[in-house]
Amino acid sequence: MVVLEYNQLEELIIRIRDISGFDFSGYARPSLLRRAGRYLAKYDMDLGELLDHIEPGGSLVYELIQELTVNYSEMFRDPEYFKKVRTEVFGYLESYPALRFWVAGCASGEEAFSMAIMLKEAGLLSRSLIYATDLSNKVLTSAREGVFTLGNTRTFSESYMQAGGKHSLSDYYHVAYNQAIISPELRKNIVFSLHDLTGDGVFNEFQFISCRNVMIYFTLELRQQVFRLLYDSLSMLGFLCLGKRETLRYSGLEAHFKVIDSTLNIYQKIK
Amino acid sequence: MNSAKDESLSLVLIGGSSGSFVIFEDIIKLLRNPVSFAVIFVLHRGKHSSSVLPDLFKTKTDVHMSEPHHLDPITANSIYFALPDYHLLVGKDHRFYYDHTEPDFFSRPSIDATFISAALSGIPVKAAMLFSGSSQDGAEGLKLLAEKGFPTYVQDPESAEFPRMPEEALLKYRQHNLLGEDKFYKTISDLLS
Ligand SMILES: C[S@@+](CC[C@H](N)C(=O)[O-])C[C@H]1O[C@@H](n2cnc3c(N)ncnc32)[C@H](O)[C@@H]1O
Repeated sequence: MVVLEYNQLEELIIRIRDISGFDFSGYARPSLLRRAGRYLAKYDMDLGELLDHIEPGGSLVYELIQELTVNYSEMFRDPEYFKKVRTEVFGYLESYPALRFWVAGCASGEEAFSMAIMLKEAGLLSRSLIYATDLSNKVLTSAREGVFTLGNTRTFSESYMQAGGKHSLSDYYHVAYNQAIISPELRKNIVFSLHDLTGDGVFNEFQFISCRNVMIYFTLELRQQVFRLLYDSLSMLGFLCLGKRETLRYSGLEAHFKVIDSTLNIYQKIK
Repeated sequence: MNSAKDESLSLVLIGGSSGSFVIFEDIIKLLRNPVSFAVIFVLHRGKHSSSVLPDLFKTKTDVHMSEPHHLDPITANSIYFALPDYHLLVGKDHRFYYDHTEPDFFSRPSIDATFISAALSGIPVKAAMLFSGSSQDGAEGLKLLAEKGFPTYVQDPESAEFPRMPEEALLKYRQHNLLGEDKFYKTISDLLS
């Protein structure tokens, strides 16, 4: 077990920034400390060794960044969330002739694919454009390929059904070389692009923004700034969806939203 | 924001797994409003058992109990329970942080995650205790707390319903104080006064 102290973590943050340009200074320290400690334990090294190994031009620093940012995702993750969006939000969106969605922090695309499937089943996909963004080029590359491992399809199918899916998940992908590939028809309405929530600004106006399992990485201050960006990117009466694990608490913007669902953290911008 | 920190804050940390529930209940009965510290309980439990502990123990104490939210401030005279399916970390800014990384020893919340973060937070720990359980979780964290000079206690494996957890803690660090069957609650009560 390797335990990293706060001052050592700051040293690591500076080193990563100097070498890669990636700046963790706005990331919540307690979780970063835990993840960095686990990384060291996994490779059985101490901080000194790690600092020696992360060299300009090497790939280790990018692996480390990858590890520290956590880009786990899955199809229809927290199915009850998707179900709520379908029942509580879609009805409202039907009145718009054109719809823009933003999946912020989309990782390898599963959340955007899940949304596209739901929109398709609600008859809304053809007038929708889904912008799915992340700051990792690596996950975006995988998202653009629309591939997920076949091994998980059974769990995903169950989640799809729990989310209120009307058909079979297998209608939406085909299998090649032991991988599942999302059907091109769904991907047509999704634009994957690089966007850093902590540095880049507003790039469009949306009726719906989901930002799930992302805010948890940020410090209180940075989190407020990112919430402001999401707020500024939402049209009036647009929806902000944070999912099961994040709330608007301490965002400074609580008064600007109406709570649509307090468990799944679905909010509507009202002022 | 840091100016709002209560410099006198101290923590009591309590971890347990199988066989610890009744002990937790009895410890909670010992707590009477006001207490000068914050008590953080980490109990292994299923993923979906949310919001039950403060409810279950409602009649046992008059100290305020909650399952804290991400970023909630940690304050004295409060009892906190780690929520299922998250690790509950203690920040040096006196706030709680959720962490959703992998389980430790199949457990989320993990006792190690809370104990280690508390040990590193710079907040004084008045006492840390580890009770019955059949997992290795908690041993690393309790060791770190002891090495930082904080008082640490483990239930005597002899009298624990599931001895593995206290045993592992003693294997990692022999000098923890033992809480024997004899005067068990008396000792704990003295620690909490
Ligand atoms: C755990 S994944 C969440 C994926 C998906 N939203 C879900 O809930 O399954 C978090 C993602 O946030 C991305 N992320 C972290 N910091 C970011 C930032 N500053 N800007 C944009 N994306 C960021 C990570 O690269 C990662 O892919």
